[in-house]
Amino acid sequence: MAYEITLLTTIAISVLFALSLNFISGFCGQISLGHAAFLGTGAYTSAMMTKASIPFLVTLPAAALSAAALGFIIGLTSLRVRHDFLAITTMGAGFLFVGIIRQQDFFGGEIGIAGIPATGLGRIGFMSLCMSLAALFALFSIAVRRSWMGFVFASIADNEDVTRILGINASAYKLIAFVIGTATAGVAGALYAHHFRFIGPDSFGFVESVSVLAMVIVGGIGSVTGIIFSAAILSVMPLMFQFIDDYKLLLYSALLFFMMRFSPDGLAGLFKRAFRKYAGERP
Amino acid sequence: MNNVLEVIDVTVRFGGVTAVAGANFTMKKGELLGFIGPNGAGKTTLMRVITGIVKPQEGHISLDERDLSSLSINERINCGLALAQQIVQPFQDMSLLDNVALACGSTKTRNAIKSMFYTDRSEERQRAAELLHMVGLEDAANSMPSTLPLGYLKRMEVARALALDPHLLLLDEPLAGLNQNEARGLADLIQTLNNNGQTILLIEHNLREVMRICPLLYVQDNGRPIAYGPSKEVMQIAEVRSAYLGKAE
Amino acid sequence: MLYLELFIQGIVQGSIYALIALGLTLVYGLLRILHVAHAALFTLGGYIGVIVTNQTGSLALAVLVAAILVGIVGMAVYKIAYEPLLSQPPFIALIASIALFIASEELFRIVFGPYGLSYASQPLTGHLELFPGFRLKYAEMLVIGMSVVVLSILAYLSLNTRIGIAWRASVTDPSMARAFGVNIQNVRYMNFFIGSALAAIAGVLVALLNNFVEPTMGSVASYKALAIIVLGGLGNIRGTLLASMLLGIIEAFGTIYIGHLIDRDALAFGFLIIVLMVRPQGLMGVK
Repeated sequence: MAYEITLLTTIAISVLFALSLNFISGFCGQISLGHAAFLGTGAYTSAMMTKASIPFLVTLPAAALSAAALGFIIGLTSLRVRHDFLAITTMGAGFLFVGIIRQQDFFGGEIGIAGIPATGLGRIGFMSLCMSLAALFALFSIAVRRSWMGFVFASIADNEDVTRILGINASAYKLIAFVIGTATAGVAGALYAHHFRFIGPDSFGFVESVSVLAMVIVGGIGSVTGIIFSAAILSVMPLMFQFIDDYKLLLYSALLFFMMRFSPDGLAGLFKRAFRKYAGERP
Repeated sequence: MNNVLEVIDVTVRFGGVTAVAGANFTMKKGELLGFIGPNGAGKTTLMRVITGIVKPQEGHISLDERDLSSLSINERINCGLALAQQIVQPFQDMSLLDNVALACGSTKTRNAIKSMFYTDRSEERQRAAELLHMVGLEDAANSMPSTLPLGYLKRMEVARALALDPHLLLLDEPLAGLNQNEARGLADLIQTLNNNGQTILLIEHNLREVMRICPLLYVQDNGRPIAYGPSKEVMQIAEVRSAYLGKAE
Repeated sequence: MLYLELFIQGIVQGSIYALIALGLTLVYGLLRILHVAHAALFTLGGYIGVIVTNQTGSLALAVLVAAILVGIVGMAVYKIAYEPLLSQPPFIALIASIALFIASEELFRIVFGPYGLSYASQPLTGHLELFPGFRLKYAEMLVIGMSVVVLSILAYLSLNTRIGIAWRASVTDPSMARAFGVNIQNVRYMNFFIGSALAAIAGVLVALLNNFVEPTMGSVASYKALAIIVLGGLGNIRGTLLASMLLGIIEAFGTIYIGHLIDRDALAFGFLIIVLMVRPQGLMGVK
């Protein structure tokens, strides 16, 4: 039972984290290669606070706020640089985050922060919290996609210049996407810290940023259900592949490569095509 | 009093090159002004000054007697400007109807945070359908842009600009790339819009259609204004004939 | 004296960066792909260099073999991984490239072992004492000399041969070059061959400096090279060379003076972000 609880908690946190990136990259089309920095900001904020005996639930909004503050700054850079430049800038922000944390004794430096206190919610209580937050954000994402905000996001992802020519303040929308997406990543970070009870600079490095982008792209960029599936599968895959421990990263990356090579629109596209074939190729 | 657009002494230099030198004209409500000139005359540059992409070194632009100098492109659009671009850029993942409906929803998209709380699109889609009907695209409303020929997309671009209920409609070479029949049809549409009271600045290369529909002309050559007035009189001016007709046609 | 030493170190590091980043910027100029897996070819070059030197005892032969073999692998990467993705949105190729890079690192670990390799007897161990107290290692001299020679030859060929001109035309404006009858496919292959060969040479040189190759030696290089080509103004060759040297020097000084605040490898990105806020198109990019 304990194993299943751990598994479900891990999945829920991954889903929340992946959906938070989907808000920025999937809905609004702003590809980020440094999203783990916001998971890290939330994780460090929350962990430092609970270690100072502040109740866990109080730290959640604080984690969201600190990540969103950083996200707002990165969002501002997205108003200056675009496309590939933005991808590399966000990647740079990720490296900068790890590079700075690593050198600060205050944040535990290279070693990180161990002995993060329990949440006081119990294992099942904590799992339920994680799952309901993930579910809540999934519903929120779907609602936003259907709203006029989602309509504008789709147009920005398609062609930002034309969106501006229609009199829409694209900058404001991009900033909102960054703030909501990074605040949510901050909450996911707080959950992450109290799930593993240990965090270090390496937990939030480039590999994490790529993994979460992989979840979004494998799920099918912009597709909420597709991403829930892919985040669930990709986050438990390393656990399932324990028995081939030595080859698990090879397998993971090879799968990702073949996914991009043969089904670039992700699982959502894969299912759509399979379904169309099943339904008899009707237009 | 009722000047919709005022272009006053606008000069633009890129490095050592003067792209626009002292451009001057005003448009009253309900006018259809043809803005012509040979290639490299600085038409596109002046158009970009009006939309705010290029900042002029001298002079200023005002819309409805409001100075636009400090405003960004989306703010200028919100003041009553609308633009149909020379190179059509539809949103590829939306039907024509949604392309236009997005532009119809400016009251819902003006405040980015509030936009989250609006979900209903039926009103805007209905208005979009009317606009598509007006430009003769009612059959293609639910088609995706990638499946349609250029002539359709040019009309969609006009419908999308009209969706903003502009005080001034800027059309940047709408006839470019169209065959003679298509060009004639779209020029007729522009004339109809103007007859319905729409103020239009038409930047165009197709002199035949411009002469047919525009009562007023503004001519620029090498960045300098060389003539401005009723079309028939303008075309009698020797400098216009040599600058424009001598080279272009 | 410290300043001069740091400066020379910066130039050595900058030369390595230049060799790696040049291939990356060529690929970007031609295909608009951020080719992260490029760094795996750098690592492969290092391995081949050490293995060939240990077998034959000739460093020169090792450089040649590494350059040619890795050049061919680079062409294969283009054919297998990128060509089918050219019509997709750019981030698809980027993710594919990152996946390919991680998979390659794992393959190196599994094939060559996790602990890395060293030269059986390290070549060029001596140093030259330029003036009392200031030494320059032969290996460091080789790095600087090799980069200057290789890059000059390339510059000469691209300016003075028919194929070089076709190649430059394709990098600047592929559709125009095609209109003039340039075979774009061949240019792409050549691009990947040359870029990968340069990365392989950089790999051999780094192996020489450290007397060590390991599976992960490309990770830092790969991301930093991305920062460099963005700094230089994506696809701009002169900008890339300038950014490589600047970064090498900034890192050499930065490690000493602000190393306690920020990790050496993060310096590049701090510099990158500052530059992009001022000049969004990079140091020498065109808006």
